[in-house]
Amino acid sequence: MVLLENDAFLTELTRLFQKCRTSGSVVITLKKYDGRTKPLPRKGHPENFEPADNKCLIRASEGKKKISTVVSTKEVIKFQMAYSNLLRAHMDGLKKKDKKSKSKKTKAMQ
Amino acid sequence: MPYYQTWEEFARAAEKLYLTDPLKVRVVLKYRHCDGNLCMKVTDDVVCLQYKTDQAQDVKKIEKLHGKLMRLMVSKESHSVAMETD
Repeated sequence: MVLLENDAFLTELTRLFQKCRTSGSVVITLKKYDGRTKPLPRKGHPENFEPADNKCLIRASEGKKKISTVVSTKEVIKFQMAYSNLLRAHMDGLKKKDKKSKSKKTKAMQ
Repeated sequence: MPYYQTWEEFARAAEKLYLTDPLKVRVVLKYRHCDGNLCMKVTDDVVCLQYKTDQAQDVKKIEKLHGKLMRLMVSKESHSVAMETD
């Protein structure tokens, strides 16, 4: 699992999407993160850890390759804008609904 | 593991589940371009909420909910807050 900086993560995520256009799936996971880098202490051992409250962990994978990044409050605004644009740009293979077909060959005659 | 039929119910249930225990809940998004579908799951490993779609109009909704949950996770407030700068 590769832990990247926010920008590098977005670049790699773009690559994951491009790679999976013909086959495979992109799985993105989002979870609140309290900043711990050490495993949980055994029972009876004191936990000298202050959980942070302002971070989240984002992981992405295309089955084989895995990437991840940590986003905190300071970066979330910028990251979320870029991230939303990325998702919207790449998740474009879905069906478009057009009940009212906007084709120009039949104009509504009143 | 029910798949919700309406987006509204799913979004409401998802946010509610997150607020019950933010540290336990995770959000999973699976996109398959070759099959043209998108699936979103919100779970705390006890309750599992899922929404599946193949409609382009749902991408925006899913992406917005994703962003909302992300902001909830990084905010220090316990209730949902848009964006407050101290």
